[in-house]
Amino acid sequence: MSTTKRTSLILSFILAPFLVILLSLSVGRYPVDAWTIIQVIWCKLTLQPCPVDEIYQTVVWDIRLPRAILGAVVGGCLAISGASFQGLFRNPLVNAGLLGVSSGAGFGASLAIIMFDNVLMTYLLAFGFGMLAVVLSYLIARVYKATPTIMLVLGGVIVSSVFSALISLLKYLADPADQLPAIVFWLMGSLAHARFSDIMMAGVPMLIGISGLLLLRWRINVLSMGDREAHSLGINTTINKGIVIACASLATAGAVCVSGIIGWVGLVIPHIGRMLVGNDNKVLIPVSLSLGAVFLVIVDDVSRTLTGAEIPLGILTALIGGPFFVYLLKKTKGGGW
Amino acid sequence: MVALLKVEEISFGYTAAPVFEQVSLGISPGQVLCLLGPNGSGKTTLLDCILGWLKPRAGRIMLDGADITDIPARQIARHVAYVPQIHEKTFPYLVKDIVLMGRASYLGPFAAPSEEDMAISAQALDKVGMSSFKERPYTQLSGGEGQLVMVARALAQQTPLIIMDEPTAHLDYHHELIILETIVKLIRDQGLSVLMATHNPNHAFYLQKNGVDTLVAMMKNQHIINLGGVEEVLSEYKLGELYEIVARIVDCVPDDGGILHQVVPVSTITRS
Repeated sequence: MSTTKRTSLILSFILAPFLVILLSLSVGRYPVDAWTIIQVIWCKLTLQPCPVDEIYQTVVWDIRLPRAILGAVVGGCLAISGASFQGLFRNPLVNAGLLGVSSGAGFGASLAIIMFDNVLMTYLLAFGFGMLAVVLSYLIARVYKATPTIMLVLGGVIVSSVFSALISLLKYLADPADQLPAIVFWLMGSLAHARFSDIMMAGVPMLIGISGLLLLRWRINVLSMGDREAHSLGINTTINKGIVIACASLATAGAVCVSGIIGWVGLVIPHIGRMLVGNDNKVLIPVSLSLGAVFLVIVDDVSRTLTGAEIPLGILTALIGGPFFVYLLKKTKGGGW
Repeated sequence: MVALLKVEEISFGYTAAPVFEQVSLGISPGQVLCLLGPNGSGKTTLLDCILGWLKPRAGRIMLDGADITDIPARQIARHVAYVPQIHEKTFPYLVKDIVLMGRASYLGPFAAPSEEDMAISAQALDKVGMSSFKERPYTQLSGGEGQLVMVARALAQQTPLIIMDEPTAHLDYHHELIILETIVKLIRDQGLSVLMATHNPNHAFYLQKNGVDTLVAMMKNQHIINLGGVEEVLSEYKLGELYEIVARIVDCVPDDGGILHQVVPVSTITRS
C-alpha cells in the first residue's frame, strides 16, 4: 500500500466518528438546519451569547450532542474490547461480555432500579457489579494455579449464568407496574438519558480502558499465539493477560453502566474490521474503535428517528448490522478465513 | 568456554509421579543435540522446562551462565527461541506479521515493531526461503511451509539457541529435507545451536554427515539413558533398547561421496 493511500485511510478512520457525530446533530424529530448547528456549537465553545433560539440550543447542545458523543464512546468501547478479547482468547466468537461484565452490570442496574430508583446509583451499581463479575471469573480461573484461557472462559460462563439467574430473580420480584419495565428497557440498551455529566463520569473508565488497549495492541498479536508460545516469545503471559482483561473490562463496564446492554457490537464490529484491514491487531484494534463508534452513533440516530417511541439499541444493532455484515462478507470474501 | 545451555540434574512431575528425574545435558555453540525417546517419555516436558514455561522440581537450568529461574521471560526469549511441534492457527495473520512476533522480547510493553524489526524479520524469512509468501495469510500455507515460517519467527528472535519440538512431524520427504538443510545452513553460517526433539534417529545421521557437531540423547523411563556422539549412541543395540524394536543400521553412499548411515526399524520385540 502506498504511503499516501495509507495516510488517507488512517485519517478517514480517525475523522469518521467526529463526522458522524456532527451529522447526527441535524438528525431527529425536531429539524435543525446546518447553519444553526454551527452557530450553536461555535457560541457554546467560545462561551459567547448565542443569537439562536433557546430551544435549538437545548436540542443541539444539551440533548443531541452528549447523546452522539456517548454513543460514539460506548460503541468504540464495546468494539475495541470485543476485538481484544477475541485476540486474547484466540476465539473469533467471543465478545466483550465473555467474563461476565454485561450480566454483572445488568444485575447491578436491576438491583439499583428496585432498591434506589436513582440514576446515579444505577450507574454505580452497574459498574461495580460488572467489574465484580470479571474479578470473580478471574478468581475462579486462578483456582487452577495459573490462569489458563479455557479456565477463564469457563469462569466467565459460570459467573454470567449466575448473574443472569439473579437478574431473572430480580425481575420476578420487581413491581410489574414500573420497576419491571424499567429493568427490561435497561437490559435492552438505550442512550436516551445521556447527559454531559454521564460522559464525564463513565468516560473515565472508558478512556482508561481504550488507552490501555491501544497501547497494548501489538502485544495482543503475541498473546493470541497461545500462552506457551507467547512465553517463549518473551511475554509474561499472566501479567499481560491480566492488564488486557482489566482494560477491556473497564471500557465495557463503563460503557454498559450508562447505556445498558447493547449486544452485537462487541462481537461483529471487530469482524467487519478484520474484513476491511486484516487481522493484525496493531491495525485492527484502532479500526474497531472507529467502526464501533460510527456504527453505534448511526444506529442510535435510527433508533430515535424511525418511530415516535424509541426503539431499544440492543434490538437495532442486530437488525441493522446483520444485513450489513452479510453484504461485507460477500464483497470481501471474508478476508482470509 | 561457558556452555550455551547446561541442564543440571533436573526433575519434573505434574503430580507426585515424576515425568523425569535427574536429567542433565548441555549444548555448546554450533552444536545440535537430538533428543530421542518413545512417545510419552517426557521430551516435550523437558523442553518446556528449558524454555522456563514449567518449573523443575529440583536441579537447575543454566542459560549462558545464568539460572533461568532468576531471569524474566523476555531475557529467556533473547537466548532461546522455540519452534513448536503443533502450532494451533486461529486468526489468518499474514506470514510477515507472524515472523514479526519474534521481535516481541526486544520491544517495550507499549511499543510496536520498528522499521529495523521489520527488516530483521524480512531477513529471517529470506533465510528460510519463504520471502515470496510474506503477504499470504499463514492459515493457507501447507504444513511444511508453515513450519518454515515458525523457524523464521525463531530466527527473528536472534537467539544463539533454537529449540525445535519434532520439527519434521507430519512433513513429506521433500519438506523434511528442506527443514534439515535449513538447520545445517543456519549452524554452518551463523554458528547457531539447536536442541531438537525428534522421532527419527536418521536426522542425527544426516546432520553428522553434513558436518554438524551432533550429539544424541536418549530419554526413557524418566531418565536420559544414553548421551554422546552419534556413532557412540546410535547403535543397533541401543536403538533397539530405546524403542523396544529390532533395528538395523545400513550404509548408503550419496552422489557427493561419504557414507550416510540410516536406521531401519525391522520389527517390534514381543516380550514373553
